[in-house]
Amino acid sequence: MALIDDLDVPMTEAELERRRFLGLLGSGALGLAGIGTMVAGVGYLEPNAPYEQATRFVVGRPEAIVPGGVLTLREQRVYVVRGQAGVYALSSVCTHLGCVTRHGLGQSEIVCPCHGSAFDMEGRVLSGPARKRLPRLELTLERGEIVVHTTSQVDDDTLLEV
Amino acid sequence: MRKIATALTRSRVWRSVFRHGFPDSNRNRSLAIFSSFFLHFHPVKVRVRAIAFTRTFYLGGLALACFFILTVTGTFLMFYYHPIVPSAYNDMKDLQFVVSYGMFLRNLHRWTSRTMIALVFVHMAWTFMRGAYRHPREFNWTIGVGLLVITVLLSYTGTLLPWDQLSYWAVAVGTNIVGAIPIIGAKVKLLLLGGHEINDNALLRFYVLHCVVLPLTLAFGVGLHLWRVRKDGGIHLPELPPRRDDVGDENYASTRADAGSPESSDAPHENA
Amino acid sequence: MSEPTPESAPERGEEESLGSVGAARVVVEEHVSDCRTSDFVDEPMLMTFPHLLVRECVAFLGLSIFLVVMSLCFDAPLESIADPTRTPNPAKAPWYFLGMQELLQYYPPIVAGVLFPALLIIALAIIPYFRVNIERPPLWKSAPWTQVASLWGVVAGLSGVFYFTGSVPIWSLMVPLWAVGLAMTAGALPWRRSRLGIWLQTRSLAFWIFAWFLLAATTLTVIGLWFRGPGWRFTLPWYDGFY
Repeated sequence: MALIDDLDVPMTEAELERRRFLGLLGSGALGLAGIGTMVAGVGYLEPNAPYEQATRFVVGRPEAIVPGGVLTLREQRVYVVRGQAGVYALSSVCTHLGCVTRHGLGQSEIVCPCHGSAFDMEGRVLSGPARKRLPRLELTLERGEIVVHTTSQVDDDTLLEV
Repeated sequence: MRKIATALTRSRVWRSVFRHGFPDSNRNRSLAIFSSFFLHFHPVKVRVRAIAFTRTFYLGGLALACFFILTVTGTFLMFYYHPIVPSAYNDMKDLQFVVSYGMFLRNLHRWTSRTMIALVFVHMAWTFMRGAYRHPREFNWTIGVGLLVITVLLSYTGTLLPWDQLSYWAVAVGTNIVGAIPIIGAKVKLLLLGGHEINDNALLRFYVLHCVVLPLTLAFGVGLHLWRVRKDGGIHLPELPPRRDDVGDENYASTRADAGSPESSDAPHENA
Repeated sequence: MSEPTPESAPERGEEESLGSVGAARVVVEEHVSDCRTSDFVDEPMLMTFPHLLVRECVAFLGLSIFLVVMSLCFDAPLESIADPTRTPNPAKAPWYFLGMQELLQYYPPIVAGVLFPALLIIALAIIPYFRVNIERPPLWKSAPWTQVASLWGVVAGLSGVFYFTGSVPIWSLMVPLWAVGLAMTAGALPWRRSRLGIWLQTRSLAFWIFAWFLLAATTLTVIGLWFRGPGWRFTLPWYDGFY
């Protein structure tokens, strides 16, 4: 068995140059194919049309909530609060790690069961690991009924006057 | 009886499979290890100190055994499981009350997974305490850390599959932690869940990760890990007091060079 | 099916299949290359077949019996069907994540959930590339009291970090730290000539850091497992049960 040793084949400078160029070309093509595969892979895995809950829904007439009362919409993860001056909506998803907070009837505190954060009825943090307040969601009045837009956050003093 | 066994082990069929005779001589016993695909990660001879139970407590091997049990029980469970909401949960109930031995298999899968994590973790701690991660086994330790991470990820992706309250909220918190990673977090979370909330898509993705992607990665990693154990000189043993003459060391160096050179020069050619 | 001349044929068959000189020599080299130390001539050895294989089988059987008995005696928990609108109280992660869940209570997710685990994994992965865990002369050999002072300086500094940076003081990290500090200091005390004293002295810094990691991880997990009740408030296991 004789080894054909490519390291030992005599070669001119031009041939070496060509070899280097082809080597570079090959590695480049390989790298490009790798990057292309990755980009296409991520693109493929990214869902274009996830069938999910609506981000806009009708709550009902504002008069249905008594002043100072809280309407808990469990399905949509929203609290609709009627203060003295008007109505506002808070997301009930804890800003810490996304657990759904709870509000006991007649209590003035919203508590997260996962890591113990507590918020007041304005959404401000009272205690616990959460640092951000519960976001206030946009409300509009359409044909006398309150509509919540869950993807649209508004300033923390915005009220829907009724 | 003995006659039949002898005739059998000498038959052409036996020989085509095993390539060695009945392992009753040391030569055949060596070949039994050396020529077997499944056993060749063992050396043909082992130091008595190396196989003492208290040396390693067989922690790594037992973790591998757990992986084997998990693969078998997991495959069985897959025959009844649909990764869809709400069938996923109903299938759990079916396994519990309807399927023969269903509850037993699910229990076995669950407790083996917990045992595996514990074994892998203790394996790591023990390896550290014995100083076995030092030169020349540095890279194998790093591979081992990777295997620990994959093991935990396997268990974590498996958590979502029963689709009960525990599953759902463990994954809700976990993916929110992923989402907290700066810059790439939100994107990774979206890819992991296949959407913005945890639903069918997320279940399917975790199912594929749990049943295909991660086990294959782990199997490959374990192969690498075991191979490296041999290539790095077998399991770590504290050195015995040196002998008076230094012949041994030279001997070691020369055999090492002999054994090493064909590999190191052959490998690039084969790959190229 | 069997060979015509059973006595000689198998021998030839083997040699052909493995390459004439091959088998025996490769086997020996294989064995030699496994023996890294200079004492491989002296050290008692056993054939892997059957001695190691039998031990492996026994270990595997022992494990199987343990797991089967576990599976027969304890049923895997299954809670009610997932309900995205209702978070259970308390919502506990699987036990191997409880340590992290404990930390999530003290630090924001980016620190407790991303930075800590990432640093931990990176630290573990690169440990062997630092020559930090070499058996070494006793830590307290020269200027022991200066070293004790600097040790407790570091301990105090870290305690300060865990006291002030968390949302509440993190005793579950500080107490293991003090335990490790005490064990390290014990090596400098009068009984340092005893066996335990010498053992304590020859441990390296990496050993102590790892010991602290193990102690802290265990403490956090145990607290998360048995001492956390509704609202993640501190509780006792006999009040709210085991989770």
